[in-house]
Amino acid sequence: MSAVLELRSITKSFGPVRALRGVSIALFPGQIHALLGENGAGKSTLIKVMTGAHQPDSGELLLDGKPSQPLSPVSARAKGIACIYQQPALFPDLSVAENICLALEPHSALSRVRWKNRLQTATSLLRRIGAQFSPETEVRALSMPEQQLVEIARALGSGARVVIMDEPTASLPEQEANRLLEIVRELASQGVAVLYISHRLEEIAAIASHVTVLRDGESIATLPMEGVTHDQLVELMVGRKVAASAPLPAPSTASGPLLELQNLTCTAAGIRNLSLQIRPGEILGLGGLVGAGRTELARVLFGITPADSGSILLENHPVQIRSPRDAIGHGIAYLPEDRRRHGVILPMPVEHNMTMAVQPRLFPWTWIRRNRERSMANQFIESLAVKTSGPEAPVGSLSGGNQQKVALARWLATRPRLLILDEPTQGVDIGAKSEIHSLIRKLASEGLAVLLISSELPELLALSHRVAVLRGGEIVRSFDAPPTPQQVLQAALGYGEKREVA
Amino acid sequence: MSTAFHHRLARIRALVFRHESLLLLILLAEWITFSFLGRRFATWENAADILRHSAEIGLLAVALTPVILTGGIDLSAGSLLGLCAVIFGKLWRDAGFPPTLAAVTAVAAGAVGGLLNGSLVTRLKLPPLIVTLGTFSLFRGIAEALTRGTDTFTNFPNTFLFLGQERLLGLPTQAWIFFLLAGTAWLLIHRTTAGRNCCSAGFNPEGAVYAGLPLSKIQTLAYVGVGTVAGIAAVIYTARLGQARADAGSGYELLAITAVVLGGTSIFGGTGTIHGTLLGVAALAVLNNGLVHARQPRETAGILTGVLLLTALTLTTLAYFRSSRKPSRTQPSP
Repeated sequence: MSAVLELRSITKSFGPVRALRGVSIALFPGQIHALLGENGAGKSTLIKVMTGAHQPDSGELLLDGKPSQPLSPVSARAKGIACIYQQPALFPDLSVAENICLALEPHSALSRVRWKNRLQTATSLLRRIGAQFSPETEVRALSMPEQQLVEIARALGSGARVVIMDEPTASLPEQEANRLLEIVRELASQGVAVLYISHRLEEIAAIASHVTVLRDGESIATLPMEGVTHDQLVELMVGRKVAASAPLPAPSTASGPLLELQNLTCTAAGIRNLSLQIRPGEILGLGGLVGAGRTELARVLFGITPADSGSILLENHPVQIRSPRDAIGHGIAYLPEDRRRHGVILPMPVEHNMTMAVQPRLFPWTWIRRNRERSMANQFIESLAVKTSGPEAPVGSLSGGNQQKVALARWLATRPRLLILDEPTQGVDIGAKSEIHSLIRKLASEGLAVLLISSELPELLALSHRVAVLRGGEIVRSFDAPPTPQQVLQAALGYGEKREVA
Repeated sequence: MSTAFHHRLARIRALVFRHESLLLLILLAEWITFSFLGRRFATWENAADILRHSAEIGLLAVALTPVILTGGIDLSAGSLLGLCAVIFGKLWRDAGFPPTLAAVTAVAAGAVGGLLNGSLVTRLKLPPLIVTLGTFSLFRGIAEALTRGTDTFTNFPNTFLFLGQERLLGLPTQAWIFFLLAGTAWLLIHRTTAGRNCCSAGFNPEGAVYAGLPLSKIQTLAYVGVGTVAGIAAVIYTARLGQARADAGSGYELLAITAVVLGGTSIFGGTGTIHGTLLGVAALAVLNNGLVHARQPRETAGILTGVLLLTALTLTTLAYFRSSRKPSRTQPSP
């Protein structure tokens, strides 16, 4: 039996970033194939190659065993490759039947809508996957898992032979998740090849027949699920990465905590009862999957989504942080995750960006002192080695790494006591990355408390003195000594504990 | 690609510069043309007349520039002018206020009107277009209710009419107020963090919040500025015409916005200058005055204004799309 869809040694780079460095995977009819990998291992890029959203740089793509042209979104759909995303993309105001059939009917502005046919098609498709709701329901009224079923029905209706499911159960409570798994099995039993992406190892163990592990853009191994242990899988995902640099000297324990959080809760941000301490000079790493609540915690501490209850103590004094301005006033700085949207204002000059958070100090009575601004900017351009044509160049003209340095300079200018770094090296080239790493270390050794959020485990482990792992907005484990990658990943995945109802 | 982006931005800057030069050229062309076509156009008398007649719209345009820089809009400015004029008239005639006190109160009322706009935009996060479309009707409606639509206030003392109809040191009195406020606005926009933060808010409001900039305060102040200036313009308007009516300043908001956009301020926010706005005001004012002197029908002014504005809009829109076309949408930057 030949594979419906097979990829051989696929590579894909974005500028200097090599997202895929050789991925091979084969999907067979009637099989559920799991895809595992850490954040940033290349899963999303791989899906996009399969659905035609990205064209691979090199490698082969085979359909039914025959070499095929690289896919486009249209041709991928025509060949029966469908993808179901975590967040269904449906028209909320249309009925289930309309949503299912819109993509299936011939596109002509003048063709008559055959309502009876639509209803019949939708009903039979929904029955095939055992959905309980009527095809006439408005999609708006459906729950998230029900909407996913609509997507699956639509995929089936379009004659999909390959269904890619990207973390379909991530936001589902256990019972709903189990029902969805049943439907995935049912789908496979009808001869569909399923590529199933999930971080939930138990789930994968329960339904998949094969698993492919991605690491750093490479398919590390493809194994039959039978006989594979969770430990093996975690090992494969993490690899034997060596922490590149010498361990950090731990900060003195003499001083009390700089920041202490007690039962911090913010419903809007999904932070629940969170407590932690961080001392001056300490780098506290926050581990966890994307969406585990790390960025959300940073936003609470920086006053973007203020906390509902619990207390924030700075040097043992309770403080209220209701806005970023409050946070800056208390000596808290936040380097956000999304550099281009939040970290810098791209069309504004480097110098304006750098002085943005210290305007009241630098410019009394709001009157701009160009000399002060220029000299501060030049100082940071020099000390951080920012590559720019000058302080008046728009930040948008700089490379990612240098944009990040500008964003960092903005916060260092505030002379903070606590620096929250959210994915500080994401989308940054290797040279700038190691510069940023040594800068973080230097700042900590000078007494700055650093809260480091990074999805890159080696980075997190190499820099942090202590690590706390979040899941579902709570700290599920803290490590006082740097843990192994396996320990962090296991805690992040919730493996080894009772699975929580999300 | 980052250098390409840089070049694009440089091109836009050059374009803005060219845009202002272009306006100067247009202004010059208008002046020369009308000097030939119109009798008594190129006289000091007429220049003063142009100034006198463009002070109110000029004031509104200068005050609207920061609002548009933040990415907002204020359609209620003309209506608020009408309301302030009525308040001024009522206080003077019915409450017996001296003109100075009545004027100060009318200006304060304008500030309150602006604060209403600003609060609705920042607190309720409503789109500025909708908010000010609402207050556009609301302010005019209150003005009409106060006068029952027919009451007009006239017979102001000569000491007050001096503000709108006489000259001070060779220039129309109100021109001095206009210059003073335009100069203040220029300093605020181009020499203080307030103005710079208006641009930051216009380029990227979320980014401004993450930088700890007081986004709500900036936006609110911009609308309060328009309200205050609408109050000042109302007093000048009343002094120039010698009467205050509920329909004072109808349509002024659109003329002012036209001048701002013509002056090179991007309607999407972020880029723009006060001197550009002043050039825009001048180009429109000279055009309107010149056509009257050249004995052209009034409609010609509308047509030419439209042509001028559309040309300006096309230019800034092109510039905007060039700058916002990210180096790449799908690829992470290195």
